[in-house]
Amino acid sequence: MTTLTTAALVATLVLTGAVLLLLAAVAVEHARRGRRLAREERRRAELTPLVYAALDDDEDGAAALARLEAAPASLDDLVLDLLPQLRGADRAALGRLLARRGVVTRAAADLAARAPWRRGRAAALLGNAADPGQTDALTALLADRAPDVRCAAARALGKAGDVRAAGPLLRALARSRRVPAGVVGMALLDLGTPVLPDLRAAVTDPPSPAAQALAADLLGLHGDVEALPLLLGLVADARRPAAVRCSAATALGRVGVPTATPALGAALAQTAVPALRHAAAEALGRIGDDDAIDLLAATVAGGDDAVRAACADALAGAGEEGRARLAAHAWHSGRVGEAARAALSNRPRPRDARVRRAA
Amino acid sequence: MTHVLVVDDDPAIASLVAFKIGRLGARVSVESDGEAGLAAARQLRPDLVVLDWMMPRMNGLEVCAALRADADPAVAGVPVILLTAKAQESDVERGFVAGATDYVVKPFSPRELVSRVTAALPAGALTP
Repeated sequence: MTTLTTAALVATLVLTGAVLLLLAAVAVEHARRGRRLAREERRRAELTPLVYAALDDDEDGAAALARLEAAPASLDDLVLDLLPQLRGADRAALGRLLARRGVVTRAAADLAARAPWRRGRAAALLGNAADPGQTDALTALLADRAPDVRCAAARALGKAGDVRAAGPLLRALARSRRVPAGVVGMALLDLGTPVLPDLRAAVTDPPSPAAQALAADLLGLHGDVEALPLLLGLVADARRPAAVRCSAATALGRVGVPTATPALGAALAQTAVPALRHAAAEALGRIGDDDAIDLLAATVAGGDDAVRAACADALAGAGEEGRARLAAHAWHSGRVGEAARAALSNRPRPRDARVRRAA
Repeated sequence: MTHVLVVDDDPAIASLVAFKIGRLGARVSVESDGEAGLAAARQLRPDLVVLDWMMPRMNGLEVCAALRADADPAVAGVPVILLTAKAQESDVERGFVAGATDYVVKPFSPRELVSRVTAALPAGALTP
């Protein structure tokens, strides 16, 4: 056997040994990981009923809460998984539990961390924990240099439920480091009806046109009848940006009060602002009173193509009366008939009055 | 004993809801997808169903509509509470069109859900 052959044999043996060692190490680690996960799973299974019991306001709940304060760290993950699904008193109880275990304090310290992902994660955790003591720190984060952190802070403020966040959220729409309107809107919706006074204030004295448009949108989603005069004023005010007037028109439709029909009819005649006409048509369809249907039917016959289609869609969604008026146009051979037929075929079923009442 | 069927593919939610309703003295069965939920409802004929919307294999609306169309009056008439993250006005409409008795949006208050479950059942059916 030559020296070369011996060397090759030794190298092969060494390599085989190394591969076998590596495989053994992987197998050991795999088994260890499996045991760790199983242990974790068992712990969670033991803790879960205690967490549920802690949500009750009775003696069992108090006893479960006391036991959970000293529970292992896996409890925190369990509670953090559950928190986003809950609201109300039960969510607040779990938030207090996290605070007692020091989770909130640690997350608050992480808001100043160098890594953006740590700041964002801390903000999300604090939002879920709903600790009102963190509102100021989260508000400051709305101007963070990282866009993802700003969004995380906005979402967290919505989930935290402190109505003081409404103003800062609306102002965050117009900074150089801004937060997208969709994120701010969801956060404000999460805050619920307690923010209605702030939204009305943002319509009358807006920090920016974007905030005014969003506030109008949200007032409509809340169906805020008290905001009706403000929204009517916005729709009629030609000095306002088109986006603001469109949002106000859409909101009036969502509020659904026939008082708004004349103002929306006037907006429908605003040939210089096509988007506003479109929004007004949709809103009239949502209101669906006799005058609204008359206006829509007249505009189907006489408007331009885009507005005609919007009016036809609105009529198709405005119940039996609207569909009957639309059907009268459907036999026309021109564009009016085409729009009517398209709208009728797109909406095979009118809104069910029973469902509207139930909803 | 009053029997409630909980159908939700999120085990954390399903077990929380089952725990809370179980504390009221009801027997609770849990299924994790729509198809299994429908089969369980037909087999077990529960007094009430708490139903998620977005689930694998068959969604909550399809389950609800199938329950309402069932030939067995006990299955067709069972109260169904939709428990879902779908919160748009049009979603609520669709839920009621499919035959839901009540509609609860996630994130939800377990206490409110328990009140709605109690209200949807005959008086005295649950004794906490």
